[in-house]
Amino acid sequence: MPVYLDHASTTPVDARVAARMAEVLRSESEFGNPSSMSHDYGDVAGALVEAARGQVAAAVGAVPAEVVWTSGATEADNLAIFGVAQYYRERGRHIVTARTEHKAVLDPCRELERRGWQVSYLVPDQEGLLDPQQVAAALRPDTVLVSLMQVNNEIGVVQNIASVGALCAEHGGAWLHVDAAQSVGKCPVHFPSLGVDLMSLSAHKAYGPKGVGALIVAERGEARGRGRVQLAALQFGGGQERALRAGTLATHQVVGMGLAFELAMRISSVETVRVAQLQHRLWQGLAALGGVQRNGSAARTVPHILNVSFEGVEGESLLAAVRPHVAVSTGSACTSALAEPSYVLRALGRSERLSESSLRFGLGRTTTEADIDAAVAVLTREVHRLRKIAGTAAA
Amino acid sequence: MNYNELTRRYFTSAAGAANAGQLRGADVFRGAAGDREQGTWVQFDLQIRSGKVTAARFLAFACPHTVAVSAWLTEQAVGNPLRSSLPESVQALQERFAVPVEKTGRLLIIEDAWLAAAVPAIDYGV
Repeated sequence: MPVYLDHASTTPVDARVAARMAEVLRSESEFGNPSSMSHDYGDVAGALVEAARGQVAAAVGAVPAEVVWTSGATEADNLAIFGVAQYYRERGRHIVTARTEHKAVLDPCRELERRGWQVSYLVPDQEGLLDPQQVAAALRPDTVLVSLMQVNNEIGVVQNIASVGALCAEHGGAWLHVDAAQSVGKCPVHFPSLGVDLMSLSAHKAYGPKGVGALIVAERGEARGRGRVQLAALQFGGGQERALRAGTLATHQVVGMGLAFELAMRISSVETVRVAQLQHRLWQGLAALGGVQRNGSAARTVPHILNVSFEGVEGESLLAAVRPHVAVSTGSACTSALAEPSYVLRALGRSERLSESSLRFGLGRTTTEADIDAAVAVLTREVHRLRKIAGTAAA
Repeated sequence: MNYNELTRRYFTSAAGAANAGQLRGADVFRGAAGDREQGTWVQFDLQIRSGKVTAARFLAFACPHTVAVSAWLTEQAVGNPLRSSLPESVQALQERFAVPVEKTGRLLIIEDAWLAAAVPAIDYGV
């Protein structure tokens, strides 16, 4: 198999997580419906769900009652955006977000525009960073929601969420939603001190299973003198999760997410430094090629994501050439047979061609120096080869 | 994107093969089409002696299908009489390399580049 450098897309399930999930699935006492309160089977499963809720809450500094289980970050984003928009539709119909957000935020915003809401899309600087003052300038009396990601999934830059949180609190009527799918285990995440009202989380980005995530819904709003954020539910049928997300919970999934997040909390600074050193090694190796550009701020980034544009090579050929050897992502969203250039890189001012010839390297717990060296060797060989074919060898 | 075996073979071996590059000399005719800024650019150099293609090279800033077809064409042309058309039709190339229909325009760029080299050579009477 190729060297796996796509941890920003998904991570392998931690063996301890997989083992615990398998235990739950095989158990003769833990298979009950966690909502069943009429027998011990339900109580046992319910206790597992609540323990996992506590683990997830602890990982981000929240309280367990603030955790609403979802099927993943995409559902959490949808619940946050549509939930706020629907609940506060009489107060205002304006939302602030950024052009570089994940599609799970942008597509709901587009849908709300079709339904009559107005959305302001902030443009980051060339390093992918937003100035909180851009948010301040975009806030209007009818703004009900600001939705920004903490760590950008394509370029890894970390936004100044705490400052935006302060601005939203000052505004009074604008709730702050943060997609933190890429944050857990990669950078500090402390829900209350960020001043965030809603936070989307994903298990599979943090060595947990796919198919489970959470929306953290702040309960502490009263302390800031503006009440607590309220959401309109998007699905109905049982009243689970404070009636915000009906449906029987998948016990093994939430148990897996809980353990994955507990393990993520234990990641030492030594491991973070190790990954940062690997990222530096990768960048130094690729930079030696010449004609490469790093996308996103090098100063305000997580060490797990490196996005690089390669001049003088065609994007589809670049990916096809490295694919047998290294598993990476293009900056592109392959929505059809022909790849589209990354809208994130385009928002940073990269040309269409350069956006297409960009690769996102996602480093993780399993990444070794040997992996990095192998990736650098493959990229060096293939970029030289493609530049020779393209007649751009001097690029 | 999936590629058939022929495309993979000619794409991955194109640079290693001697037919990626350029030719020089009075008997070399060059033709190019497309635009790197638009995502696809192809160039052919054809060495013509006594009405036959004696050597052929290509350059391509392009997708794997385009690179593979260009490499294959230069290989096929050598030793054969120069004609005012591709050695194989666009439709036949599309089938041979399993080129998706939405990439047909890229094969037409290849044809334009080929003809830009071949037609002047024929007109010149080599």
